[in-house]
Amino acid sequence: MKKLTFLLAVVLLFCVSGFAQQYKTREGNIYFNPNKNQQSKEYAALSKEATAILKVETSEVALLVPMKSFHFNNALLEEHFNENYLHTNKFPNGTFKGKLIGFSKSMLEKDGEYKFSSEGTVELHGVTKPFKAPVVLTVKNKVATFYCSFKIKAEDFNIEIPDLVKPKLAAETPLEATIPFKLN
Amino acid sequence: MKKLLILLVAGISLSQLAVAQDDLLGELEKEDSAIVKENITAATFKSTRVINMHSVEMTGLHNMQFMIIHHFGALWDNNENFGGNMGRLFGMNSGIANTYMSFDYTPAKWLNLGLAFAGNGALEGTAKFKLMRQQTGQKNYPVSIAWVSTMNYNTSKKVTAPNDFEPNKFTFMNQLLIARKISEKFSLQLNPSWVHYNVVPYGYNHSNEVFSIGAGGRFKITNKEAITFEYSRQLNMYKDITDKTGEVITYAPDLISLGFDWDTGGHVFQFFFSNSYHASNIYQLSANTKKDNFGQWCMGFNLNRSYSMKKTVAVH
Repeated sequence: MKKLTFLLAVVLLFCVSGFAQQYKTREGNIYFNPNKNQQSKEYAALSKEATAILKVETSEVALLVPMKSFHFNNALLEEHFNENYLHTNKFPNGTFKGKLIGFSKSMLEKDGEYKFSSEGTVELHGVTKPFKAPVVLTVKNKVATFYCSFKIKAEDFNIEIPDLVKPKLAAETPLEATIPFKLN
Repeated sequence: MKKLLILLVAGISLSQLAVAQDDLLGELEKEDSAIVKENITAATFKSTRVINMHSVEMTGLHNMQFMIIHHFGALWDNNENFGGNMGRLFGMNSGIANTYMSFDYTPAKWLNLGLAFAGNGALEGTAKFKLMRQQTGQKNYPVSIAWVSTMNYNTSKKVTAPNDFEPNKFTFMNQLLIARKISEKFSLQLNPSWVHYNVVPYGYNHSNEVFSIGAGGRFKITNKEAITFEYSRQLNMYKDITDKTGEVITYAPDLISLGFDWDTGGHVFQFFFSNSYHASNIYQLSANTKKDNFGQWCMGFNLNRSYSMKKTVAVH
């Protein structure tokens, strides 16, 4: 009986680690266009190096993007982004951690489009703020792509926009995150 | 005993779950800090010119830069009365303005090509090569190094009179630029230069080569404003030079400039006082005339604007 209990204990332990199924990606894309005139892509930036983890059983998700991986069309603007606005030497990463509300493991098992929401905290430029936004999950060809479109206010994160530049920018900067996970 | 064992197993499994929950972001952060990154020093200078001299900075990749460098006349004319000098507006309204207008483009990260109108009928072509970028992390380089090659073509036939020989119209300059961003606020650059004249007036000890060594730097006052300085010393070909008319001149071997940078967001505005009126580096470094006092210095400014030529950010 003792042997059985011991065996049960070992199996249980294995099951627990097995439950902690995680998906990781290093190819998350984050795009933002701060221009007041959204038709113009003059000030738009794109990072293709966001990393993310999804823990399936608990619907928890974490995301990290190196701020220096945001590239702009205009080199001078990229320099200002790093040196004057986001101070990327001091705050090298932007992060998000939270939960997917309404997500279930079964979604990953069948191709299709699923809508739910995410809730958590965002840390940017040294400031942590609560975050909530709708998410669209597309599962196709063994890839689960999470798409989230949201807006942030630069002032909320102590990002100083000089008065000469303010009239050209939208009051809230729209961002789009596209995070693909390979399903094995 | 059995109960204790079950409790123990349950406890361990639950604690495993708890630890894993908090550490999702921690795991990403640990992986991110494990990667040895390239920390390339950015913005050693805010412009591709320190003041008159080229800086190690290059216009961004696939970006085209339009630049105007303007030198006005003397700040104060000693032959004029007070009213006349006020009207001259410290050289800005003196009738003398040497303008240098250039377009340059960076087709590759290490190469910048430019074409300029250098004033007084001269055209210049420049090539700037980025040889080393100051960085820490994956590789450690203490300085940024660049090389600038300039070819000046004087379209005026008066330069080559009386025989109008085309090669006489060319003059070349090569400079090695070595700079270090010493701190967030202070950058320093060394620039040894070599000017080659295809033709020089006949004179004893005259040489076609003019060498000089210089230094420049900037102190950042705020994120947008900085104080800049430049000093170059000509090493030869300035004393008792016979010019084409037979007259003997001594040039001033010291080239000094003091400036103020203002970054307005879209472009960098560089304002300066200099002891040379010439718009082109070639004449600044080889034919700078002597100034007796600060009143004979001039005011000038650089304006630049860059445009991206290629869309690197995909249109959504």
